[in-house]
Amino acid sequence: MSEASKGGVSGIIDHIEESIIAILMGAMTLITFANVVARYVLNSNILWALEATVFLFAWMVLLGVSYGVKKSLHLGVDVMVGALAPATRKIVTLIAVACCIAYAVLMLIGSWDYWYPFVSKRAWLETDDIPMPFFLRFFEGWLNEGEVYEKMPRFIPYAVLPISMALLTFRFLQAGWDIYTGKRNTLIAGHEAEEELAQAAAKED
Amino acid sequence: MEVAILFAMVIGLLFIGVPIAVALGLSSIIFLLVYSDGSLASIAQTLFNAFEGHFTLLAIPFFILASTFMSTGGVARRIIRFAIAVVGHFRGGLAIASVFACMMFAALSGSSPATVVAIGSIVIAGMRQVGYTKDFAAGVICNAGTLGILIPPSIVMVVYAAATDVSVGRMFLAGVIPGLLAGFMLMVGIYVAAVWKDLPAQPWAGWGEIFASARDAIWGLLLIVIILGGIYGGIFTPTEAAAVAAVYAFFIANFVYRDMGPLANPDGDPIPVLRKPQSLLTVWFHPDTKHTLFEAGKLTILLMFIIANALILKHVLTEERIPQMITEAMLAAGFGPILFLVVVNIILLIGGQFMEPSGLLVIVAPLVFPIAIQLGIDPIHLGIIMVVNMEIGMITPPVGLNLFVTAGVAGMSVINVVKAALPWVGIMFVFLILVTYVPIISTWLPTLLMGPEIITR
Repeated sequence: MSEASKGGVSGIIDHIEESIIAILMGAMTLITFANVVARYVLNSNILWALEATVFLFAWMVLLGVSYGVKKSLHLGVDVMVGALAPATRKIVTLIAVACCIAYAVLMLIGSWDYWYPFVSKRAWLETDDIPMPFFLRFFEGWLNEGEVYEKMPRFIPYAVLPISMALLTFRFLQAGWDIYTGKRNTLIAGHEAEEELAQAAAKED
Repeated sequence: MEVAILFAMVIGLLFIGVPIAVALGLSSIIFLLVYSDGSLASIAQTLFNAFEGHFTLLAIPFFILASTFMSTGGVARRIIRFAIAVVGHFRGGLAIASVFACMMFAALSGSSPATVVAIGSIVIAGMRQVGYTKDFAAGVICNAGTLGILIPPSIVMVVYAAATDVSVGRMFLAGVIPGLLAGFMLMVGIYVAAVWKDLPAQPWAGWGEIFASARDAIWGLLLIVIILGGIYGGIFTPTEAAAVAAVYAFFIANFVYRDMGPLANPDGDPIPVLRKPQSLLTVWFHPDTKHTLFEAGKLTILLMFIIANALILKHVLTEERIPQMITEAMLAAGFGPILFLVVVNIILLIGGQFMEPSGLLVIVAPLVFPIAIQLGIDPIHLGIIMVVNMEIGMITPPVGLNLFVTAGVAGMSVINVVKAALPWVGIMFVFLILVTYVPIISTWLPTLLMGPEIITR
């Protein structure tokens, strides 16, 4: 089980990440469900439902990716690496981590390049339907020359790109360090099998 | 050819233990930087576009959530009881009932490994108790579990629909008859093996038991009625149907079956709602609810990260006009539909042994789709062929997800599961050939219910 069970700071951070994933998942479902109810029961439509769900979906997945790295959950092919002697295996795994770090850094640069125009010269660009929450109004003075945002500006949902890729870079660096010091010996999951097995075992109890 | 370098890079990265998603993404980035003038920002945009530009994929988290609520032990147990009551009295009845149970569970869940875990963790032990060998039990479950992606709802079908812009509803309908047929073929195979090996039959439990067990299982099975009925009735979009199914599954799990949530009682009968009315409020904050949301979120994240990176690779391929090049090359070589389908099957079978099904589909579908249309192959039929190939990929090493999960559930080594599954893989191969060359199996039901298809490309 990967649910937070440890105490201390890392336990608290696990708990926060797991709660964010659960809350985003729940929010997506309820918004989409509410839109169906609105259409058939109240005969109206929640205009922003689809767009908001899409952004929540993107936030959940992109933020969750780094959690997956921390817990070695990402799927991979481990037949080759598993057949190597421990010393060679460690070196190969470190090379794999280096590739992952390269990916995360390139993505981080790309995300920043993509996002930065939305918060600087195109800060006026709004989403299609999502209303601007009142508590974010301070951005109008900061970035939009005091002009009122009628809809949420695009840089808010897109901010997840640089944030999540920075987190991902950090988690890959951490994984590399853990593998180097011998605290962990793999980057990828054993095909969900262990996890599923743990769940099955828990059910039989 | 540059594309060969691209694919060699993906495979090389996979083999040194890089996660599938990163292998796909990193290869695409390097390829773009070296051979084309794409910017890193455009890649980040493509990554985000996996969510913003593909509304169809939004159905995936909701189907996963519905299936997670339904994957509590209780639902699987009720389905198995019903299956045993109906077909248990045949020879090899418990194994036949397991296939039947897998088929029904597949209608609640869009994933094969989930089906193996839910059904397998209960029936493998049961089969061993009445005298089946462990190998027989594990082999049957490993194969029957693959029906999870063929019988709707199916996550792999949603991915195919998103990658090729066909209708999700049509794909789901197209999976019904092949799903039933594959299940039936497995059952016949088991019956023959049971007569030959003299395997036991369960006592006939009588109509009363069938009726009682059906009434108990019906709440779970209604989920598929909501999904299919809702989509074909034009009441919901597939995404909405999935979200409604998730909310329905939440209520059934918490308030009807009460296997989880505030009314669950591990030591005895569940608590009636009227005795604990505050549960209507506390259920929203119950640890079980949070745990299920988190588990579903986690699976979605792992799957979508692979799909999003496969979409980056797809973007690179399309930008380099690779699908057009392959189409021209194949047509110039004089490929007819039959030979073309053989090639598709071979590519997918080999690919499916190394790649996760959804990621493979995202990459291969756009490559073969334009040729198929040129050759007059129905897109829905092509989709079903691909799904069946993915099924076989799941039960063949080295990346056979079902093999690993079955090994875990049955407590066997992966090698032994491979051997145990082998005879039944033969049946799946016959089924693949049947589905490939008899298109009407796939296209009859969608055409009947939704009218003939309009192919726009």
